[in-house]
Amino acid sequence: MSWITVVWSMDAAVCFTLAGIYLLVWCKQREGWVHLLFSCSAVAAGVIAGFELASMHAETTAQYGVLLRWAHLPVWVLIVSVVWFVRLYLRAGRPWLAWSVCGLRTLALALNFLFTPNLNYREITSLRHLAWWGGETVSAPVGVPSMWTLVGELGLLLLIIFFVDATITVWRRGDRGRALVLGGSAIAFTTLALGQSALVIWGVIESPFFVSFPYLGIIAAMGYELSSDVLRAAQLTRQLQASEADLRETEQRMELAASAADLGMWVWDIERDDVWMTDKRRALYGFAPSEKLDIERLRNVVHPEDRESVRVAVDNALNTGAEYDTEYRIVLPAGQVRWMSGRGRVEFNREGKPVRMRGVALDITERWHAGQELQQLRQEIAHVSRVSIMGQLASALAHEINQPLGAILRNAEAAELFIRHESPDLNEICAILADIRKDDQRASAVISRMRALLKGHSLDARPIEVGELVGEVAALARVDAATRQVMLETNVSLGLPSVNGDRVHLEQVLLNLILNGMDALNGTTQNDRRVTVGARLDGPQSVQIAVSDTGSGIPADDLARVFEPFFTTKSHGMGMGLPISRTIIEAHGGRLWAENNSGGGATFRFTLRAAKDSGAA
Amino acid sequence: MSTVVPTVHIVDDDASFLVATSRLLRASGFVVKTFVSASEFLAQRDVEAAGCAVVDLQMPGLNGLDLQLALGRTRNPMPVIFITGHGNIPMSVRAMREGAEDFLTKTAPKAALLHAIRRALARDAREREERARRREICARFEKLTEREREVLGHVVRGRLNKQIAGDLGIHERTVKLHRTNITTKLVAPSVAELTRLAHEAGLLP
Repeated sequence: MSWITVVWSMDAAVCFTLAGIYLLVWCKQREGWVHLLFSCSAVAAGVIAGFELASMHAETTAQYGVLLRWAHLPVWVLIVSVVWFVRLYLRAGRPWLAWSVCGLRTLALALNFLFTPNLNYREITSLRHLAWWGGETVSAPVGVPSMWTLVGELGLLLLIIFFVDATITVWRRGDRGRALVLGGSAIAFTTLALGQSALVIWGVIESPFFVSFPYLGIIAAMGYELSSDVLRAAQLTRQLQASEADLRETEQRMELAASAADLGMWVWDIERDDVWMTDKRRALYGFAPSEKLDIERLRNVVHPEDRESVRVAVDNALNTGAEYDTEYRIVLPAGQVRWMSGRGRVEFNREGKPVRMRGVALDITERWHAGQELQQLRQEIAHVSRVSIMGQLASALAHEINQPLGAILRNAEAAELFIRHESPDLNEICAILADIRKDDQRASAVISRMRALLKGHSLDARPIEVGELVGEVAALARVDAATRQVMLETNVSLGLPSVNGDRVHLEQVLLNLILNGMDALNGTTQNDRRVTVGARLDGPQSVQIAVSDTGSGIPADDLARVFEPFFTTKSHGMGMGLPISRTIIEAHGGRLWAENNSGGGATFRFTLRAAKDSGAA
Repeated sequence: MSTVVPTVHIVDDDASFLVATSRLLRASGFVVKTFVSASEFLAQRDVEAAGCAVVDLQMPGLNGLDLQLALGRTRNPMPVIFITGHGNIPMSVRAMREGAEDFLTKTAPKAALLHAIRRALARDAREREERARRREICARFEKLTEREREVLGHVVRGRLNKQIAGDLGIHERTVKLHRTNITTKLVAPSVAELTRLAHEAGLLP
């Protein structure tokens, strides 16, 4: 077999093989139009090689003319395919150029079949038999070139311009490798094909047409690019597998974290009303692993008393897109009640319609119990501290003072009886009166001793931040307030100076006034059950703290008496809280007084001196 | 047993209050004895004395509640009225549970104190009478022999002489003899009276 036949056949074979491979690829992946275009161009290039081989062995001019005429068909297919390959694959090249190339080549193809023998020649006069290396003889055409051949050449020229334009675009885009390989080879090989065929047609050189090899070059470049795509795809697949493994790892980690934190995760597909949740959570709620869950099924797990509040929270999230955050109880299949904290978010589609809701549920039963215990503890502290310092003081004082008061009472009563005697024993009565005086002095000594105690050494005066003082005491009293359904409000002006005082004593006073205020609300049925603690500046060097209640106020006659020892309106009161409070405040150099509010209720106010070394805080 | 005059025993560590109270009570016609501590009261009081105790709850050393418990264990307990400068609820509950007559503050009205004392004295008289009566009945039972006591046990359970004789393995006539002795010693003419006495002496449930 002649080597020419072998080489051209191999050229065609390579083209067909590549075409076959990518045709198969296209068949499996129909949306990959570039693969089809590549196959078409490769088939065309192979067919062109066949025509070339045949023409080289043509015996007559008529035969050559026919072969050349039909060769224009694969050329047209090749050019059109390559143009659209470049458009699709590189997403480059001006569309009008692409259409112009296709238009011109289609025109050329039409003219090719209109004129005899073909587009390129008006007439093929003879065939020149050229002797090639290895004793081979090939035919080359000699004839009169047709002017219409310019249409085809213009098409090819435009094709080169199209390639250049596309290459520049790709290069600028930064994809330089691809611009060089595909754009560069397309330009070079098309130029080569155009140049060689033009020189043959215009009779400048004596040679057969060699366009199939430049076209093979273009096909090779295209194939190379496509195959690197395949390589890239394979790489991507590997990366994808790796990231999938990562994802699984992450999922496992998340599941571990979720189960460690006792966190239940769920996703609600709103359109299909389908709920997914972690397997552990399903088991906890008593759902079968394969059971289809909808939102209604899930709602039934919620404690009946909390269903409404959960529904409102979910609806709110669906309507406003706000985060869903609520606490509720669930009832487990065994009847056990657990406290849950639920959080979630709604995902909306482009039209703003809720499509999915994701969330987590955290078991906070232990925390809830701890919170309850803490509340109870606080309550106890409030109670204990009330009975401890103030209570102990009151108790000790009452005991101390009741001794002399009791003795005075008994002596007076005895004296009354003695005087009624027919012959009163005056000595006895004198002794009684002396004892009464003595006990009176004793009683007043008790009081002065207590005042001295409070005024003197036991006062540990330091600068105290008023807001902090009010805040701490309010926190102590808040639980009491909640259980008694009293609203406790604080209203502390900003920038108050610190006050000088003994924190423990002042807290006792404030707590006592707040608890008194709440006591004043006992028995009132009105809706506004409120105790307000306010603090504001009272002159340049003084701060006034006021505790107001919305109770029934103090009868006008009692306004002054409430500070007298043992005066009380409460069934279990000792009547010592306010006198002690006043003593403490006076020991601090302040005043404590009571007044009725114009709108009902009473207000107890006390003043404290601002700390000297403190400006406005 | 001498005829005892009911006496109000005042126990208080506060001398002034002690004197004042004793003055009032004397002026009100009571016989009064004063003690400055619980231990002095327990040591020096007349163990047979009738009356009541007016005791300060809070005293150094033995306090009022300790005194109440100690007094309750003697043969001759007397009603206790507690007086306190300032009492609290747990203390008063404890005192009342132990049988205190009343629980008053030192500044309580005179009427309340006198009323409580009169009530305590009346209760003491009643209880003393009761105790004396029981003691007398017990003395009568002391005279019974072992066998007579055994027979009495059967009699008060309503058993017939024949049955008793069978149970104890003795002659019916012997049972009758025992019964005559029992009624003589106990001064109880009927079975009903015997049963009542046995009950009072604590021999029957």
